[in-house]
Amino acid sequence: MAEQNEIKVEVKNLNFYYGNYHLLKNINLYFKRNSVCTLLGPSGCGKSTFLRTLNRMNDYTEGAKLTGEVLIDGKNIYDKSVDVVELRRNIGMVFQSPNPFPKSIFDNIAFGLKIHGIKNREFIVERVEKCLKYAGLYDEVKDKLHKSAFSLSGGQQQRLCIARAIATNPSILLMDEPTAYLDPASASIILDLITTFKKYYTIIIVSHNIQQAGRISDYSGFFLDGELIEFDEAGNFFTRPKDKRTENFITSRY
Amino acid sequence: MFNLKYKDDLYKIILSVFVLSVISVFLIAVTVILFYSYPAIIRYGFPFLWVKEWNPPKEVFGALTFLAGTFMVTFLALLFAIPFSFGIGIFLQEYCPLFLRGIFTVIIEMLAGIPSVVFGVWGVLTIVPWLRESVEPFFDRHFSSIPFLKVEENIGYGILAASIVVAFMILPIISSITKDSLASVPKIAKDGALAMGATKLDVIKDVSLPYALNGIYGGIILGFGRAVGETIAVVLLIGNQAIVPKSLFSVGYTISAVLANTFTFAVISPIYASAEVELALILLAVSLIINIVGRNILNKVIGGRFNRSQFGGG
Repeated sequence: MAEQNEIKVEVKNLNFYYGNYHLLKNINLYFKRNSVCTLLGPSGCGKSTFLRTLNRMNDYTEGAKLTGEVLIDGKNIYDKSVDVVELRRNIGMVFQSPNPFPKSIFDNIAFGLKIHGIKNREFIVERVEKCLKYAGLYDEVKDKLHKSAFSLSGGQQQRLCIARAIATNPSILLMDEPTAYLDPASASIILDLITTFKKYYTIIIVSHNIQQAGRISDYSGFFLDGELIEFDEAGNFFTRPKDKRTENFITSRY
Repeated sequence: MFNLKYKDDLYKIILSVFVLSVISVFLIAVTVILFYSYPAIIRYGFPFLWVKEWNPPKEVFGALTFLAGTFMVTFLALLFAIPFSFGIGIFLQEYCPLFLRGIFTVIIEMLAGIPSVVFGVWGVLTIVPWLRESVEPFFDRHFSSIPFLKVEENIGYGILAASIVVAFMILPIISSITKDSLASVPKIAKDGALAMGATKLDVIKDVSLPYALNGIYGGIILGFGRAVGETIAVVLLIGNQAIVPKSLFSVGYTISAVLANTFTFAVISPIYASAEVELALILLAVSLIINIVGRNILNKVIGGRFNRSQFGGG
């Protein structure tokens, strides 16, 4: 067990139901500060649902019910006193396919700052530039910041979404198969970004791709039918899995 | 025994005949309208569009009064219907609990299916007395100095009565297209904003509406198309006098209303009939253009759902 102050996110006895379906079954795990953790599993195993419980994205889903606790910095985010807007400011999220807003490149990144009440124009300009640089996109877009985000290629759009996710200076990044729809070159750029980003963020990634996961993970977990089968340091997870089912998965038998 | 290939060809021919017959009916209708309006087009030329007088016995024909009435009713109906339709569309798609959404949607679609004469009768029985007893006296007392709001004859019938009822008739079109356009916004785009801490209102304002805007324009244009050609309800409500309306409360006339009321006896005089057919031609042209533009916009939105921006593809 890691020391308390090393733990960024801790999940205790988490159960998630949608209607009659029991989608997540008694999940217990923790994520260490400034580490990259990948969650693997076949389609429909609950890994994306799990990711969405970490920033309460299921709040608006009708018929969804959750029990258990998700502690971020020791505080249960499902506590009644938690402000969801503030919670999400602290958690950036990147999705399966690039989903820029129907706005300019600049406004896409400024969006998060604006909805959190930041009006200082200089600060926003500076922050937009910084985030684009972090995401390795600045040089490609600096001359067309006020053009539509849809004018970018898929890989660029995804990096724009990463820049957007870090604009509000979160401490956690959630990524739901961020390279799923990208060509190998664009995917590789994003994987490199993830590796450099762990200096600043605790990163939790849902992935289909065992190779990619092996390349970037510090920790890995395996989900199957809503259960967390195994969770371990990446070294052990990928070379000496304890559970037969994990082994079958990473040797591609699912 | 039928050869399969032969059978296929037979179906193709039969189906083609059906399709061609529809197209040819349309073309014949257009040709007939052009043919019969030709004498009036030649005799009155472009001034037909801006001459005020419509005097069949003297064979003086100008469409201005009807054009003015038509566009005033259409414009006002859109003005009344659009804010309500947006509200209804946004509510149904974004705020309404699922079980109620179905019920409301059915009710609104039923509204679209009510025959327009029923709307007209309803207007005569409720809107006209309401305007006559309450609205017109109120405006007469407080706004009589404003030209556009001046009550000339306190009878309830007129531009306003027709516009209100036509607004109810186009409400279902615009609101259901607003709702469908909002429903076609990719969930992942909305999730992106929610995940940043946006409130539901932020998402609607900054993501859903910009995405849905083209579709909503299309809905407005289809509503315009319906309003511009609406006939029976307008005949019952507008007062049917060939004058250029000067106020919201004036009586007036529209192209479709004058055709419905007078075309049966206009046919006794060739030039009178021709002038009326030219009115029909104008209406046909306006509604065709409007429909083509509206449908194009809607198709673009449906096509736009599958563009590269939503599916990566670098």
